[in-house]
Parts: sequence; structure tokens; C-alpha cells
Amino acid sequence: MNRILTVDLTQEKFNTQSLDERVVYRLLGGKGLATWILYQMVKPDVNPLDPENVLALATGPLNGTIAPCQKLCIASKSPATGTINDSYMGGWIGGELKFSGYDAVVITGRAEHPSMLVVDDGNVSVKRCERLWGMNTSAAERKVIEELGEGFKVAVIGPAGERMSPIAPVFSNLRSAGRGGLGAVMGSKNLKAIAVRGFRGVKVHDESMFERMVWIALRTLRMNEVTVRSLPIYGTDNILLTINETGALPTRNFQTGRFEGAEMISGESYRSELWLKDFSCCLGCNIRCSKIMKAKRGGGEVYVDGPDYETIFSLGSNCGVSDKEAIAYANYLCDEYGIDTISVGVIIAFYMELYEKGYLKGEDLPVKPIFGDGEAMVKLAELIGKGEGVGKTLQMGVKRLAEKYPGSEKFAMHVKGLEMPGYEPRAAQGMGLCYAVSERGACHLRAYTAGVELCGYGGGADPLSHDRAKVQLAIDRQDEKAVVDSSVLCFFTLFGLKLKEVYQMVVSATGFEYKDPDELKKLGARIITLSRLFNVREGFSRKDDTLPYRCLEEPLPEGPARGQVVHLDEMLDEYYELRGWDHEGIPEKETVSKIGLKDII
Amino acid sequence: MTNIGKEIRLSRIIDPEDGKAVVVAADHGFMLGPIKGVVNLEETLIKVVEGKPDAVLLSPGQARRLNHLFRGKKAPALLVRADWTNAFRDKTYTLPARSIKRVAVANAKGALSLGASGIVTYYFIGHSEDETEAYNFQLTSIFSRECEKLGLPFIVEALPFGERVTGANYAQLISVAMRIAVEAGADAIKTAYTGDVDSFRRAVRSAGVPVLVLGGAKARTLRDALEVVEEALTAGGSGVVFGRQVVQADDPKTFVSSVRMVVHEGKSVRDVISPYRGPIRLLVRAKNCVGCRECQLACSFFHEGEISLKKSRIRVDVELPEKFMPFPCTLCGKCVEACPTQALTFNPELKYVEFTAERCIGPKGCRKCVDACPFKVVGWNDDVKNPFICDMCKGNPKCVEYCPTDALLTAPLKGV
Repeated sequence: MNRILTVDLTQEKFNTQSLDERVVYRLLGGKGLATWILYQMVKPDVNPLDPENVLALATGPLNGTIAPCQKLCIASKSPATGTINDSYMGGWIGGELKFSGYDAVVITGRAEHPSMLVVDDGNVSVKRCERLWGMNTSAAERKVIEELGEGFKVAVIGPAGERMSPIAPVFSNLRSAGRGGLGAVMGSKNLKAIAVRGFRGVKVHDESMFERMVWIALRTLRMNEVTVRSLPIYGTDNILLTINETGALPTRNFQTGRFEGAEMISGESYRSELWLKDFSCCLGCNIRCSKIMKAKRGGGEVYVDGPDYETIFSLGSNCGVSDKEAIAYANYLCDEYGIDTISVGVIIAFYMELYEKGYLKGEDLPVKPIFGDGEAMVKLAELIGKGEGVGKTLQMGVKRLAEKYPGSEKFAMHVKGLEMPGYEPRAAQGMGLCYAVSERGACHLRAYTAGVELCGYGGGADPLSHDRAKVQLAIDRQDEKAVVDSSVLCFFTLFGLKLKEVYQMVVSATGFEYKDPDELKKLGARIITLSRLFNVREGFSRKDDTLPYRCLEEPLPEGPARGQVVHLDEMLDEYYELRGWDHEGIPEKETVSKIGLKDII
Repeated sequence: MTNIGKEIRLSRIIDPEDGKAVVVAADHGFMLGPIKGVVNLEETLIKVVEGKPDAVLLSPGQARRLNHLFRGKKAPALLVRADWTNAFRDKTYTLPARSIKRVAVANAKGALSLGASGIVTYYFIGHSEDETEAYNFQLTSIFSRECEKLGLPFIVEALPFGERVTGANYAQLISVAMRIAVEAGADAIKTAYTGDVDSFRRAVRSAGVPVLVLGGAKARTLRDALEVVEEALTAGGSGVVFGRQVVQADDPKTFVSSVRMVVHEGKSVRDVISPYRGPIRLLVRAKNCVGCRECQLACSFFHEGEISLKKSRIRVDVELPEKFMPFPCTLCGKCVEACPTQALTFNPELKYVEFTAERCIGPKGCRKCVDACPFKVVGWNDDVKNPFICDMCKGNPKCVEYCPTDALLTAPLKGV
């Protein structure tokens, strides 16, 4: 469980290392391992697009097994935020990496020419691939498989990644490690693709116990409303109407939390009109939230994987657009050019508000960026994807765009440079805290309090409260998520599974003698503090754990949370204290040794 | 210090012969509105009653309206839900609850005059509001005193619920909730299964009263629901209170009978769901396949002890975006015909293709079986120079068991 392949692209040198078992025991795999590797290897102040930056692909103890819903962790220092950034990708490449005999791949340096990294059952090589440069994601992926032969699983970047746009993800099998510009890091390394094939078997520590524990986990998923019906039928978009009801559906660049066109873009509506096929995008997926549809555009039609809730919010309600096919088509363009749908939608919405507020007067505009205009939204997405015209500026993200228009930073919806996802924090205070303290900026997947606050899962919690209990709720979710991200399973398993079921699978797979699920939760907390230490070393502290002016100062105009702003400062005080960090958000020395980090970093 | 009234009435719910109970909850309309299965409650309950549950749980209003179902010596006992909560509120007609509220909707006396053999109320633990928590306990102890006076069994549905519940403390909170409810006077407990036998056993022990396990959201398969019952019984539980599992079943009567077989007759889940033991074949429902490859992973794990897509005895073609197709062994016999050394034969009893390694041509193997397979299902194991031959898992195929969408099914093999 600790074979690490190190690749230096500059010198074309490969190395296989074994990690200290103690480190693996304390950090498990996936997120934990990647965070540790980056903490060890990335020197402070390295430009994320320099060869010195490290790109880590890390599996966990449940990858390549029969456990449900397996993902792959990809991590690097982010060109969007300058923080540590770990993102999770579906598809089959995570399991394949294990089948090829590696638990993680660590990539440094920069190839001289456009190249791909090939890991073929333990044989590692770097192959030149100029002919792939410039290709869209799906074509590049197909081409690599064509050239290398059957059985390869391939991760690629699109043209945007080649251009090192900070909103470029890594793609594989229609899925992406979407956020924070990991595709740009690949691009900066001249790395177009990573291809993996493996013929080896993965063994677990205690076969019969593991079988039993996986069966219990699968059964639990089959006995939970969210994982057995809501997600399989309506995808992640099953929540959209509820989120709209709670007044938390970001609309027109977060100007409000209610969208008049919500019905038109709901999961129910997509299901009845457009989705053709449920699809398990991840190895061993028992949930199948992914949907495949055809989108018609300009006389032709294209297949789209999606759209999912985040895409529907960002390109839909957030741009005021209720045209299902326009959203789906823009999703397709994003996937093909290799850009992150969340960031793209939030950038376009920001651009639309810039226009609305008169900031763009006198500029040469490719289209009138008006809220609600689906065609304009699609056109802008295309320009961003191609990096042409105004797209050249827009592809750099909301934060950099706002720097061009003084005053606009008040409604530039990002945290630390990462565009905000689809839950209005003024209508769910816990999400506000999560966006502010997440190690990679505005991310909904680090501590999904929205499930409890907005969807009422597990008895619910008042979305407007911002007391110690709410902060503890966020911490609990953050710790649990860090464990799942280190396993590496899909976050959605946690809608059905309790941490106990994950614990049972992890222990029987590894033989690690964690005492109880709570010990695993503490492991999650350890990883959160480790990623914090990375960011602190880069100069981040309380001053950066903030939200856009709009969330902190402009009351939400309608819905159940009308009149609310995010009460961030009080929550931050509590959060730091509960984490054992000081008032500035810096982990106390005592904490670092108490939680079991001191002797491994 | 026995309460005779309680004992007699409790014996109508929990069978004194074996100390077990099969209770059907049908009070969903009360918390959730007319969800699937309870739209026409009377129609559903008539079918439920045919399956012979020991008791049925209803809201006070429905208990009055449907009282005719509880008359006669063979009729099930009636349980009345005596409180209401907003905790399970359906998001389709309103916002999720901001804080958990509970209200008493019947007293013990009222329930008794409806003919009830017991009442059921909630007890939640895991929310952060002090007042709600205190009211929670107050309500429980009031009901407890009333029931004690009237000799009416008091069943508490003790559940972890609220924002302080985490994945790490869930099982522990089930135990705590049950124990507090017992301290407040519960005669029996309805609660969620902790998910594994050991932790549930500890919880049942510390409760010290009969514990009935609830069903929750409708499981995808009967097997899942019955397994939970079986495990709860193994852990010392006294049976079930199943709601949506039963009322949303395609055939509520058979569902209740199946649960009875496990609870009262001590049958194993396998015997209840698939008593067939003869030769089988594998069926493919390609339109259901979603491309997860769990069948391949499971196949290699159970045959090879290690997990690998390349060591599976079933093949899945996944070509995005639309082609998803599993190819299992069809028992066509082409490999058997092609084998020059009779290393492949049909198992005389179960008719699957049986591989005898000693008869296989070594050391490199002739691979004629691999070439002969029209669907490329027969693979080659280069480690041991043997073919991968599907043995239908000798009647209980793992690929079918692990398929999440019924893209693979088994059927009795006929005409062999």
C-alpha cells in the first residue's frame, strides 16, 4: 500500500519508492497521502506553473477493490489559488493505477516536448505526442488508446490546460478532476496525457471480512432514499428544487437565491425530457448519478455527460438561463475544451453583471452578455474554451478579471481565487464557513453542510444558525469527507453510508488497527490540519479565510433567508478554537504534536 | 412488579411463544403525506393483513377509520402513534425542518379506547437545542406514566437525529437513545439497525427490553431488507417494525410472509428468497447495465482472491456514450467441444462448465477454449497457464449478486 512512482519529466527519470508505513497509517492514502507528499516536496513560494511544482495522483486503500464508487485523488499547488489543491476524478483510471502496481504517481519537472506519461503494468515511459497537442479532450483520449492499445485508461487535458488556464481540469472517461486548475499544471509540464494499464490483482488484508464489510456498505447504499432513488433517478440535480425553495440557489451572479426558471432546469425536468441513460462513471459505482443525453445545437447533436447540479446552477440559474439544452451544450463545450463548468458559469455570470452595471462600456463585445440569454452564455463558454477574444481574459478566472474593473471585486464571487459553487452561503451559514476555510478556496465538497442545512438530511439543522453547534457540524463533515477522500471513495457514498461502514471496509482492507470510526475521523482532522500547514507556509491566514463582499455585507433579498448576510467572523473564532488553531488560523504547535503530525512532517 | 395489563397486551404484539414480533408501520401519511404505498391505505392494509403481521401501527385518525381491520381473533394487534414530528417532512411541499419539533397527538387513554394494544412515540437524540431535548424527555415520561396507569405497552422509537449525529458516533447514539428511552419507561424499543451485528448486540443488551428494528427507505431488494432482519435477530433483537419496506412492496402480503419466515420460523434469507438449487443460466438485461464493472471486480475477487478486471470470467463492453453490455458465459459448450483433453466438462449436477486443471495441456496450454468462445468470455490466466472458466459460482453467481441494476440475472436452466 505504499508504492510510489516518482517521475521527473525534465530528466525523464523514474523512481519507485516505498513510504514509511507509519505515514500511511496516519494518513491512509488519497488526500492524506497527496497532501503529505506536497507538503514534503513543494518548496514554499514555488510558482504553481513552474517545473518545481508537483502533480500527485494518489489512490487509497479501497481503490481497485470491490468497494463502491472509487475515485482518484489528483493534487498540486493550485495556479488558481496558490493553495494546496486536491480534486477527485471518477472514471476508471484510479483502479487501473492500482492494477499497474502503483499506489501513487508523483510528477515533477517539465518535458521538453508535448508528451504523455505511460504506465504499462509497471513499465514507465514518457512518449512525445505533438500530434495530440491542441486536441479536444475526448479526441485526445480516444487517440491515445488507439495508439497504445486496448485496456489503457487515460487522463488528458484539453486546449485550455495546454494554455495553462487556471480553470482547466484533468479529464478522463467524461469525468474530471475539476477544480483549481490541475489541467494547467499538467499543461505547464508539457504533459498532455497520462495513460495507465495494469494486469495485476489487488489484494486485501482479510478477504472474508472485507467481503462482508463491502456487502454491508452496498446494502446500506441500497437502503437509503438518496443513494437508491434520488441520485440514481434525478442525478445530483435531484436537489435543485429544494435548494431553490430554501432560497439558496445562486441566481444571476449570486444577486439572489431564488430562480424563476428553477422548474425548467430541475432534475425532474431533465429526466423527463432529455436524459437517455444512467451511467456509472466510477469503477464500482452503485449510485449512478451520472446521466447521458444528446444536446441539439446548430443542426447537429452531441452527447453530453451531464449536466450535473453544479453545472446547472453555474451555467443555468447563475447566468439566469433556463434553457436545458443550452446548459447541456455549454457543458459539452467545457468538457471538450477542458475547462471547469463551475468556474466558467461563475465567470460568465460575473461578466454579465459587469455589463449590467456598466463596467464594460466602450468595450468591443462579442455578444451582449445579458442575464438569461442562453445563446450569449454558450458563446462566451466557447470563447473561454478556445481562449479567443474576450475568452482570453475570462479564462483567467473571476479574481483576476475583477482586478481589471475596480469596484467590481464586491461582487466577484470567489474565495482565494476559486469561483463559488452552487449554494448561496447567506442562506446556509455553514456553507459560508466551509467556503471560507476550505483549503482550496470556495469548495462545496470539503464540508457539505448543505445536505443537513438545506436538504434536511439526518434531521436537518437551522440553515440560519451560526453558533458553535453549526461550526461543529461543519468540522464533523470536513473530517468525514477527508477520510472518504483518502480512501478514495466518491463523496456521495456518505449520503448512504456512515463513517462506520467506511471504517469497516478500510480496516479489513488494510489490517490497520484503528480502534473505532472515531479514530478514523481524527485521521481526517489530522489531514485537514496538514493541508492548513501547507497553506500557512504559503502565507495564508485568517485574512484570506473570507468571502466576497456580497456575502458579508449585502443582505439576501428574498426567500427564507431574506435579510441575511454570512456571520463569518464569529464562526471563524469558533472554528479555529475547535481545530486547535490560533486566532489567526495558524495551527498551534501543541495541536500539531497532539494530533499526530509532528513526527511525520 | 408486573403490570398485568401491559403483559397481556404486549403478548398480542410480541408472540410469547418465541418472543418475536413482525409489526407493520403504516403511519407515514401522518409525517410524509400520501407517499407511494399509502395513497389508498385501506387497500394496502388489506394485503398487509393477509400476510399475518403481529401488529400494525397507525395514526389515531386512521386507527379510527380502519378499525374494522383489527376485529376478530386472527386480526393483528393495533398500535397507535401518539406523537407527531416535523423531522421527516417531505421536501416536495415545504422546506426542510429548521429544528426538530414534536407534539403529542393522542394520550394513552384515547389510544386504549381505539382498541390499541400499545402506543408508539419518538425519542430523538443528537440535536443541539436544549429546550427541544428537554421537551423530548418530558413528553416521553408523561406517556410512560399514562401507560403504566392503564396497563398499556409503551413502545419508544429511539433514534439518533439532528446535527450532532456523525458517522462516527451513530451506532453509539442508537445505544444511548435506546437506553434513555428505557430509563424513561419504555416497554419495548423501535430503532434503526446499527449496520452490524456486534454494535447492535451491545445496544440491545444495554436496552434490556425487546428491541424491534425499523426498515427505513424502501430497499432495492427483498434480500437486503431480510438480511437486516436476520442480523438484528442474531444480535438479540426481537423482530421488526417495517413500514415503507412493506407498504411500498409490489406484493405486501408476500413481503410480510417472507419477514415472518425469517422472524418466526427461523428460516435463512437464502431459503426464503431463492429456494431453487438446481442448474442455472445467466440472463443479461443490457439496457440496465450502467458500466460500473462491479460484476468483473467481484468475479475476480471471489475466484482468484485478488481483484483485477483482467482476471474476470465475465466481460463487459463499455463504449461511451451509449454501449454497455455484459457478456457472461452462455453455456454454449463451444469451449467444451474444443478442449482436446476433456479438461472442460459440464458438471453433471449443476450443468456449469467445470475445469479440471490436471487434464489441461501444460505447460503453455493450447488455449483452444479461449479461441472457441464466441463471446470472448474465456480468458487466459498467464500466472498459472489455465483458462478463466465461469463456473456459475456453483449456483450462486457473484456477478449477479453484485450487479446494482439487475443487468445480470439468473434463471433455472431448463431442457438439459
